[in-house]
Formats: sequence, structure tokens, C-alpha cells
Amino acid sequence: MPSLTRHPRLVAGLTRVVPIALVLLAWELVTRAGWVNPFVFPPVSEIVIRWVALFVDGSVYRPLWDTLWRALLGLGAAIAVGVPLGLLMGRVHWAQWFFEPLFSFSFPLPKIALIPLYVHWFGLFSLSKVMLIFTDCLFPVVIFTYHGARGLSPIYLWSAQSRGTGRLRMLWRVVLPLSLASIYDGVQVAVVVAVLVAVVSEMVSGGGGLGQMMIRAYRFGDVRTAFATLLTISLIGYALYRAAQWLRGRLLFWHVTDS
Amino acid sequence: MRMSSGWAGGLSRLLPLTMVLAAWQAASISGVLPKTVLPSFGDVAVALGALVRSGEIIPHTLASFARAGAGFLIAVAGGIALGILMARVRVVERAVEPILLLIYPVPKPALIPLFMIWLGIGDFSKVAVIALACLLPVVIAAFNGARSVDDMLLWSARARGTSERRLLWRVVLPAALPQIAAGVRTAIAIAIIVLVSSEFISAETGLGYLIFSYGGVGADDAMLAVVIYLAVLGYLLDRFYLAGLRRLMAWHAFAH
Repeated sequence: MPSLTRHPRLVAGLTRVVPIALVLLAWELVTRAGWVNPFVFPPVSEIVIRWVALFVDGSVYRPLWDTLWRALLGLGAAIAVGVPLGLLMGRVHWAQWFFEPLFSFSFPLPKIALIPLYVHWFGLFSLSKVMLIFTDCLFPVVIFTYHGARGLSPIYLWSAQSRGTGRLRMLWRVVLPLSLASIYDGVQVAVVVAVLVAVVSEMVSGGGGLGQMMIRAYRFGDVRTAFATLLTISLIGYALYRAAQWLRGRLLFWHVTDS
Repeated sequence: MRMSSGWAGGLSRLLPLTMVLAAWQAASISGVLPKTVLPSFGDVAVALGALVRSGEIIPHTLASFARAGAGFLIAVAGGIALGILMARVRVVERAVEPILLLIYPVPKPALIPLFMIWLGIGDFSKVAVIALACLLPVVIAAFNGARSVDDMLLWSARARGTSERRLLWRVVLPAALPQIAAGVRTAIAIAIIVLVSSEFISAETGLGYLIFSYGGVGADDAMLAVVIYLAVLGYLLDRFYLAGLRRLMAWHAFAH
């Protein structure tokens, strides 16, 4: 036992892997034993082989790239617009009065329901998808920025004011850095939303991307490709989420986290 | 500075929305915003009135409600049970937590095509995806809630000879309710998003189908009417849930 307790992280890691390995093993055995239709429910190993094959023959790169750049562009636009708007709402009274009710009233609307309208406005291809991702991501970014900027301790603001800092400079040099932790929480949420909306809009209105790849696999009854695509989508979502987390650590190294 | 005080506060909050709608209507009437781009607010309101009065929207509302409701209820019942078991029984936590972590990063609507292969394009696949998508926030909330139950409560119940099973039901569950309530609220929002996505992809009934088919024939006023109807429905659902919660939890400090 002492050798085990000396590597607690290794042990913790192993106990986590075991249940997953058991599930995958059971899946493989059940499908190999022929208890289920392999056409509908293929063995894990065949899904992994297909997943690798999609990368080897290169057919996944184009859809992967399409989904990725749409998600990132929509997210980037939402940050570029949402952060200034949220800061303004947090610190300027009329902006709060005007925008806060608009955001809280339209918050419960599932933005995905706007796909047909956006297709009508921006066409079937990338623009309508990027705009929808932008719209959906705008909400978490604005709301988290707004709450961050509103909840600042006035002491910082007073001390900057007493040194004669102008209003615009105040937003940029004092309010923005102090709100960054909260803004980043919003970005973490928005990253997940961006991938989800990209995939759903591609499933609904085509135009390439991993979403359309999945629907096409479904139409051909190709479960292996559908699974492999799902795996790719999940990995992208996870990678972007971890990337945002890593970036947060890099940008907020000076920030003392509360928890 | 506090604006949400009574009726005056409510009106002050409605004013920006009214201004936007009035500007929309004015832009449509003056021709600045062509109706081919966006029908006027008046047209959308008229279309909504017609949809409700003719009763056309009712079977679609019921179909959507049944799908989302079935998936949601399965997720709430299963999620609370699983979350509490995970928090109190070590083996369950060890076995289930890694699997939940594996499912967590999967964007749930992306499962719709796979579930359609397994369960057909009917209601089963939609309910299953909605249930799975709603399950995670409920499990996590129930797990966190049940794990942070005050030990004093457990000790005092045990000291009076409460059996372990009864303890889960009578002590742990009520104590975890505030956290569970927050997870369930997230699940309501998720249910609506996954519902609409699945009805966009394949359905012959439901509000998502209605939006999609009106959009497809260029009936933008009716399409927007259903979108607004859906938004209002989602908003009311959330309000009713919060109001019901406040009554249910009147005993709890969390409700003030």
C-alpha cells in the first residue's frame, strides 16, 4: 500500500479510467457477440478506426475547419461587441436603463429559433451561421461583463477619479481590468455556446461543417461516421473550453481568485 | 438608483422594449425597413392573433410540450436520484462520475442524428436527447447539494434511529433542494433549446416545426409570431417555476 499512497494522483486517475474502460469493454463485447444489430450499434473499435480513417483520408479537415472558424469568428465578434456594451451598461446609468431590460426580456428566447430568419437575411452559407453564433454568444458575454463592471468596489473608482482620470479612460484602464475575471466567466460559457450553435445551424441549414457531415452520415445510415463526427465535435468543444481556461490563467495571473 | 421598485420600476423596465418595438413599427411604415426584409411588428402581432384564434398553434404547442415535458421529467427524476446516490454512496460516485465527465463536453443537440438512427425519427429520439441534455445540470446540482448537507442534520437524524434509506428521502433530499432547484431551472432552458433543435431537424408537429415550415414558405410574419410565442412561453414557464419554488421553499432560509 505505501507505494500506492505515494502516487495519489496516479491512483485517482486510474480509478477514474476504470469505469469508462469497463463501459467501453462491455460495449465492445456486446456488439461483437452479435446481440445488437452492428449496423445500428457498431463496436467501439470500429468507430475509433473510422475516426482515425477520417483524418488519414483527410475528409474531416474541411468540415472541421468550417465549424471551427465559424464558431471562433462568431465568438470573437460577440466579445468585441459584448465587452464594451457590458462595461457601458455596468457604469453608465442610461445604458443600463435601456439595455438591461432588452437583454433580460430576450434572454429566454432560444436563439436557435432564429435560424430561418437569419437564413432569410444572411443567406444559406457561412454568414447566417456566424451571425447566429454572434447573437447567441453575445448574451453570456454582455451579462457577465455587466455584472462584473457593476459590482466593482467604488474605492478603486474614487482613487482613479481623484487623480483626474477621464470617463472613457476610466472604463478602459480601471473598469475593464477589474471586470476581467467576470468577463472571462462569460467567455467560458460563450465558448461552449459557439460550438453548439455552429453544429446545430449546420445540421439544420447545411453549408458544410461537422454538423452537416453528421446529418449526411445519418441520411446514409452510416453510424460509424456519425459517431466519429460526434467524437470530433466533442473534442473541439472540449479543446476550445480548455484553451479558454488556459488563456484565462495567462491573462489573469495577477488576479486573486475569490474562491 | 434602485429601479425595480413596484409598478413604476416595472414600467421603467418596459419602456426600452416599447421604444424598440415602436421604432421597428415606424421603420416598417415609413419604408425604411422593407417588409421583404422584416415584416412590421403590427403584421407579426396580427399573425400571432390569427394563429391563436384559429387554434392552429394549439396542437403544435401540445406536441412540443409533451416532448419537452417527458424528457424533462425523466431527467429531473433520474437526475435527483442519481445525484443524491452519488453524493452518499461512494461506489456510485466512483462509477458514475467519470462517465458523466465523458458525456459533459458533448454538445447534446449533436446527438440528435445518432438517436434518430437508434430510436427512429419519431418522438422517442427527441425525448431521449432532451432527457440526456437535461440530466447533467440536475445530477450535478443534486450531487453538490446532497454532498454539502450539514452533518449535524445527519447525526441528529441517525441518533433518533432514522434508517439510511429514510435519511436520504427525509433529510438529504430536502436539504439539497435549493441547489437542485437551480439545476432544474437550467434544465428548463436546456429542454427548450434541444426541443427546438430536434424539431428543426425532423418533425411534422411542434413549435420548432412550425417556425421552420413558415420560414421555408417565406411567411415571415407567422414565423416571427411563433418565435415570439415561444419566447413568451419560455419566459412564463421560468416565472411560474420561480413562483412555485418560492411557495414550496417558504420554510427554507433561501426564500427569505
